[in-house]
Amino acid sequence: MIETFKTRPALLRWTLLLATLVVWEAITRFASFNPIIVAPPSAVFQQAFLIALGDSTIPQFYANSAITIGEVVASYLITVVLGILIGLAFASSKLVCDAFEPLLLVLYAIPKIILYPLLILTLGIGVLPNIAFGVLLGVFVVIFNTSAGLRQIEPNYVRLAHSLGYGRRAIFFKVVIPAAAPTIVAGLRLGFGYTVIGVITAELLVVSVGLGSLIDYATVNYQTAQLYALVLITLAIGVAGNSLFSALERRWVK
Amino acid sequence: MPIIEVRGVSKTYENPVTGRKTRTLDNVSLKAKENDFLILLGPSGCGKSTLLNIIAGLVPHDADGGEVHVEGKRVTGPNPKLMAYMFQDPVLYPWRTVLRNVEFGLEAQGLDKAVRRERAFKYLRMVGLEEFADYYPRQLSGGMAQRVAICRSLALETDIILMDEPFGALDEQSRIILGDELVEIWRKVRRTVVFVTHSLTEAVYLGERIAVFSARPGRIKVEVENHLERPRRLGEPEISRMVDTLWGHLKGESLIAIKRAPAEEERLELPQE
Repeated sequence: MIETFKTRPALLRWTLLLATLVVWEAITRFASFNPIIVAPPSAVFQQAFLIALGDSTIPQFYANSAITIGEVVASYLITVVLGILIGLAFASSKLVCDAFEPLLLVLYAIPKIILYPLLILTLGIGVLPNIAFGVLLGVFVVIFNTSAGLRQIEPNYVRLAHSLGYGRRAIFFKVVIPAAAPTIVAGLRLGFGYTVIGVITAELLVVSVGLGSLIDYATVNYQTAQLYALVLITLAIGVAGNSLFSALERRWVK
Repeated sequence: MPIIEVRGVSKTYENPVTGRKTRTLDNVSLKAKENDFLILLGPSGCGKSTLLNIIAGLVPHDADGGEVHVEGKRVTGPNPKLMAYMFQDPVLYPWRTVLRNVEFGLEAQGLDKAVRRERAFKYLRMVGLEEFADYYPRQLSGGMAQRVAICRSLALETDIILMDEPFGALDEQSRIILGDELVEIWRKVRRTVVFVTHSLTEAVYLGERIAVFSARPGRIKVEVENHLERPRRLGEPEISRMVDTLWGHLKGESLIAIKRAPAEEERLELPQE
């Protein structure tokens, strides 16, 4: 048995997952758990299916999913543009870096959640504070990775291009950018994860719209199976976004 | 007329933090004639690499410290049409294939894709790496990577190739093999090579002329002609004799150099970004 797993880690993973589901199902079925506290996996999958068909107690699933996805896209676009621009500024000027890096580190270190009430006060209740909170969580890793990637280039990479007669502009686009790309892309990938966390957290904190609001709806109405199903769906959206990144990384970064 | 002429060149580095000044080169004069295989040999920190960088136009010499002329023109910056420069490390870009690394220098000169490709393959064939054209640098051994770097330099088809300890990071066997290949190519294509090393054996094995440096601040202590017949064989008595002669010139300088802290000033200035 162990010999079979040794060469096939994926098999081990799926076996363990399946076993967990079976045990979970068995416990909820036979140990007479209160279904409000723990829903059996069979009910969770059934609800996920019903929610996807738009035939469940959860209202306006697709409208709310679209809002969440829209928020994530908007939030992530802002994160990328802002993060890369600030990262570039940090990498290209020692003055900017020395002057503002300490500020950025302080902002990075504080728990961002304490800034959320400020966002609500300034932006009101709705999609805006959710987008802003996603940016707040995602932007730092993009800034740091962009600036670190650009600054930590092998000096000989630049010297070689210089010796071959390349000018500053050409060196930036032909050497600096591709050399920094793996670090920058890693930052963009982590930033995506943080942005998703930020948006959904914000939706849960002050319930207005989106998947977060549906999760909250299921919770306060004791619809535990639906709650689990929604968590599962949210997870699936996150995983889908992440796989999109892996695919892009494989294409762009050698 | 010499193809490279260094006249009274001096170089002083200033530590940007402490402001302490170190003189690495002191009034160095040197000539290389066409098809020369000139070795710059010296103890570590003697400024031999600095001199090579100054000849290449990668590092400026002191404003009042002499001048360098290559093919009759004064050197003011890198001139890849005249001189190819090789580093101790291969410095291959990991995001480019072997072929596209070799083409990188030709791209800067705006050559057609077909011309670039043909030229790159010509030299890859010369060093026996044509089947590896589509490989990425991480898939190569150290010796193969340095061969690709040699190709990149040769492909520029310059009259002069400047090499800064190009085999210094390789194991001894690869060093000998690449040295043989380099001499073979040099005899075939007739270029002028200036080669920096701290290895006495490598100097005698490869060079036609050996300029021996003093310890810092570097001066040229003596120039030794070396016209031993080629192909040369390691362990030949003539080679050993010449190594011994060079060591006679170098021993005192090495004793001085070895007692010194490494020169942080040797770190080379980067072009302004």
